[in-house]
Amino acid sequence: MFCHGKQLLALALPAQPTSQRGMATLKSISIRLKSVKNIQKITQSMKMVSAAKYNRAERDLKQARPLGQGAKVFYEQAEIAPSESEPKKLMIAVTSDRGLCGAVHTGVSRNIRDALLANPAELENTKIVCIGEKSRAILSRLFGKNILFVASEVGRKPPTFNDAAKIAIEVMNSGYSYGSGKIIFNRFKSVVSYKIDNLPLYDKSAVTTAPKLSVYDSLDDEVIQSYLEFSLASMLFYSMKEGACSEQSSRMTAMDNASKNAGEMIDKLTLTFNRTRQAVITRELIEIISGAAALQ
Amino acid sequence: MSAWRAAGLNYINYSQIAARLVRQALKADLRVEATKRDEANVRFTQWKDGKPASIKRHCSLNGSILN
Repeated sequence: MFCHGKQLLALALPAQPTSQRGMATLKSISIRLKSVKNIQKITQSMKMVSAAKYNRAERDLKQARPLGQGAKVFYEQAEIAPSESEPKKLMIAVTSDRGLCGAVHTGVSRNIRDALLANPAELENTKIVCIGEKSRAILSRLFGKNILFVASEVGRKPPTFNDAAKIAIEVMNSGYSYGSGKIIFNRFKSVVSYKIDNLPLYDKSAVTTAPKLSVYDSLDDEVIQSYLEFSLASMLFYSMKEGACSEQSSRMTAMDNASKNAGEMIDKLTLTFNRTRQAVITRELIEIISGAAALQ
Repeated sequence: MSAWRAAGLNYINYSQIAARLVRQALKADLRVEATKRDEANVRFTQWKDGKPASIKRHCSLNGSILN
């Protein structure tokens, strides 16, 4: 019996708002208003959090910059070019696990996608290493067969050198030998802008046969080997720091925009809410007055 | 060939071990800050033929691979 009553109640409930339309829209507007206000609170606090994280990331980045720049300049000075005999390539996409930060991750993934789709020969010979789940989610659909491994749990905490070292070791242990490669990441320019950049990777034979290697003194085979290993780790570290910094700054602006949009929506909804309320009051007054007039 | 390479380490392992020893040798007040930098959170999933392989490999801090 009780059960039956409950069912009736459930049936009756959705019918109720339609009978009093003015009131119902008023209620639905206020529910909507409340939820938008909550969303604004969330985006605002996310903005605060990423602002704090961004400050730290930028401080860290300043210290990490010489590491990456130094490694890059080494390749430039020695004029190292990828060896022709080894067409295999490696692409490392530096992203993170976290979203809600504008086009940071899609930019990196799109860069790789365009490079691979433009040249079918490269598609065959290229392996991809995804750092962060976001690049995996985008790239696995198109280039699932090219993915070598995925490094996840990136982006919750600021990247450390040990993180980069582990990835570098994993690249070396993967058993994939590449002639040249690229680390693709977002280079942080200012709070409002970042740009996709890449760092070159080469294997040992490309370095030893470089025409201008003689600008460096006392290089033997083992020093070059050690340096290449270390520079892979340090370039990864640098690009991860750049990526983390651009991600936080981009999330900051994204959340700022979201809060602003939510604010606009709240204004609009409050206006319609007040208008509807006024309309309901006016209608009720008209009903009462006209009712009273009819009785006279 | 240096001894550490003969032992099967690469330069990253070698420098990580050296860095860890330096961190441990720091005075107590500096060591707290330095040990925070000694962490690594990355996890790896190997991919094969367009699908993630089921075995997740974890690297210990000194770089040796544990299954």
